[in-house]
Amino acid sequence: MKFQSQKVAWGFFATCMLLLSLQVIYGFIMGFAHAGYDGLHSVIPFNAARATHTNLLVMWLLAGFMGAAYWIIPDECDRELAWPKLAWVQLVALVVTGVTAIIGFHLNWWEGRKFLEIPRPLDFLVVIDVLLFIGNIGWTVWKSPKKSTTSMVLFFGLLAAALLYLPGMIPTDNQTVDSYWRWWVVHLWVEGVWELIMGAILSYLLIKLTGVDREIIEKWLYVIVGFTFLSGILGTGHHYYYIGTPRYWLMVGGVFSALEPLAFLGMAIYAFTMAKKGGRTHPNRVALLWTVGCAFMSFVGAGFLGFAHTLPQVNLYTHGTLVTAMHGHMAFWGAYAMLVLAIISYTLPLMTGRKVYEHASAGFAFWTSNIGMTAMTLAFAVAGVSQVVLERRAGMDFLTVQKEIEVHFVGLILAACLFTVGIGTFVWNFIRYGLPNAPLKAGGERVVTPPPDVSPGVPAVARS
Amino acid sequence: MLSKSAAKAFFLGGTAITLAVFLSLTWDTFQQIPGRTNAAALTDQVKRGKHLGEDNNCMGCHTLFGEGAYYAPELTKVYERRGPVFIRSQLKDPEAMFPGQRKMTNYHFTDDEVEALVAFFEWAGKVDLNGFPAKPTLGAPAQVLVAAAPSAQRPQVFSQICVTCHALGGLGGTVGPALDGVGTRLDAAYLEKWLKDPGAVKPGTKMPKLPLDDAQLGELVTFLSSQKTLKEVAQ
Repeated sequence: MKFQSQKVAWGFFATCMLLLSLQVIYGFIMGFAHAGYDGLHSVIPFNAARATHTNLLVMWLLAGFMGAAYWIIPDECDRELAWPKLAWVQLVALVVTGVTAIIGFHLNWWEGRKFLEIPRPLDFLVVIDVLLFIGNIGWTVWKSPKKSTTSMVLFFGLLAAALLYLPGMIPTDNQTVDSYWRWWVVHLWVEGVWELIMGAILSYLLIKLTGVDREIIEKWLYVIVGFTFLSGILGTGHHYYYIGTPRYWLMVGGVFSALEPLAFLGMAIYAFTMAKKGGRTHPNRVALLWTVGCAFMSFVGAGFLGFAHTLPQVNLYTHGTLVTAMHGHMAFWGAYAMLVLAIISYTLPLMTGRKVYEHASAGFAFWTSNIGMTAMTLAFAVAGVSQVVLERRAGMDFLTVQKEIEVHFVGLILAACLFTVGIGTFVWNFIRYGLPNAPLKAGGERVVTPPPDVSPGVPAVARS
Repeated sequence: MLSKSAAKAFFLGGTAITLAVFLSLTWDTFQQIPGRTNAAALTDQVKRGKHLGEDNNCMGCHTLFGEGAYYAPELTKVYERRGPVFIRSQLKDPEAMFPGQRKMTNYHFTDDEVEALVAFFEWAGKVDLNGFPAKPTLGAPAQVLVAAAPSAQRPQVFSQICVTCHALGGLGGTVGPALDGVGTRLDAAYLEKWLKDPGAVKPGTKMPKLPLDDAQLGELVTFLSSQKTLKEVAQ
């Protein structure tokens, strides 16, 4: 840790751990309801559990991105954060807004718009909160003489994400228009600007962990985010097939969605190549595992499974079925959840001075959660494909089909237990790292990380 | 080999072009939406129905235009599939139609609110969705082979309400018993008495008392009485 103000990232990461744990619990509530055990229905009906589950996800990922930015930006810009205290205020405000929204969901106070359920008055608080964040980060970048590609891509990714929240607030009486704008937020986030943030954070981690030259890594960062936007912007069309928008979206969405895996494939090849090229062994192997794992799982979940589901002729039958849940789970896990867990794994030892990553449990958390999530995806796949064949193709009644596939949700719950063991271990390790108040070793960061612009292959010891 | 500035140019150029195309298509889409969604039919009642659906997060369980959660049935064509009688009954008392099955919350809608939601579903069913939801192609041949009576003779109330719980010719719900051959097992007088008030004939039955008018009741009794077993048909 080079700068004291980077410590604020810990607060955001701790929030992530709390919200992620809650998200898992709400996932179980829904899994049991699908398997036929809906004992909580009168207290937490399915729609409340669902809104809570997805909004907790969005909230903890955003908290993770903010934490990552508060860590990366001072490091890349070589100066303290502009207003460290404001960052803490902004964290508290984010948590308060989020908790209010979640409580509201349980009291039937929401906007029933998938992923954007947060009630309108709270939307404005979110906007203010994000503006404070962008201001803080932006001012830090602005005041710094050093503007690295990584920090600029990260900043503009975050700024665009903030701006894209606004179309979701346009009022309309037409369901089609409503859906149209909603996807500007949701799609252009997860398959657009969030990938910018993802690319930047991956770059930062690869620069730090592999020792490959910054110029090479940042060049490929441009290529990857180039592919992301080239395919992702018009790829929004795959949400405009069947909502009342013109037929040409079938063609536009189909072609450009088919290109979307390229960006993720690029990301995976990039991470693997850089990890292999690195001439230096960083002691924090677990952070590298999460980094490379993130690039790989995002290709499988977001790239490959997304491609399989967005061809118009397939989507005609899979649209609005559990097949979407299959793709969604692995895509979000691979692309964004693992990314945040990667940056947490990298920064914690630097913040606390402890090396929990040396313990076997750190690797155990990675493998168990990934095997668990893969098994969950398979359970969703079996349930989803069965639903498509029986209900959409053969015309069986909805409820009859749901009973047929209940057993796959028992499988899902078992897989989720495995996943939960992995996540539980990760959270437990987070707690074992302790608070970021351990005395900093002089030049502690530099022992394990090369300063920028040092050619690869030079052993870290030789430099210090 | 590719230089960093060339990579940057690729990123900025590609983004600018696709963004320009995307914005033009968006402009064109907004020109077409009023026609495709029959915006002229967006009465105050329909609008109210849409907002009621949002205020109570229907999409948290159901899908509409294929969007939402996957816990409850797709609502786009619910007006055509189940009809207003069923929708009203379901909204007023969600557990009447599917006793002991997957539950829906009772939102205690007023009569006006129920009508607004019905109007909204009627509007939604008529939006041009490029062929979504597709007709189940695999089920159609099976239905022709097995069904005792051609579906054309089925009263509308049977196709919309009865099949929710009962199957005929292999298609329909499994909450209640299948109705194949019901005309052989039960006579018309019993069927009429049963349909008027199931609870009076068999206290504690899961079958709800349906809001049927006399004409619908007559149609149903005639139709169900005609469902004979193959053996009886042969004689």
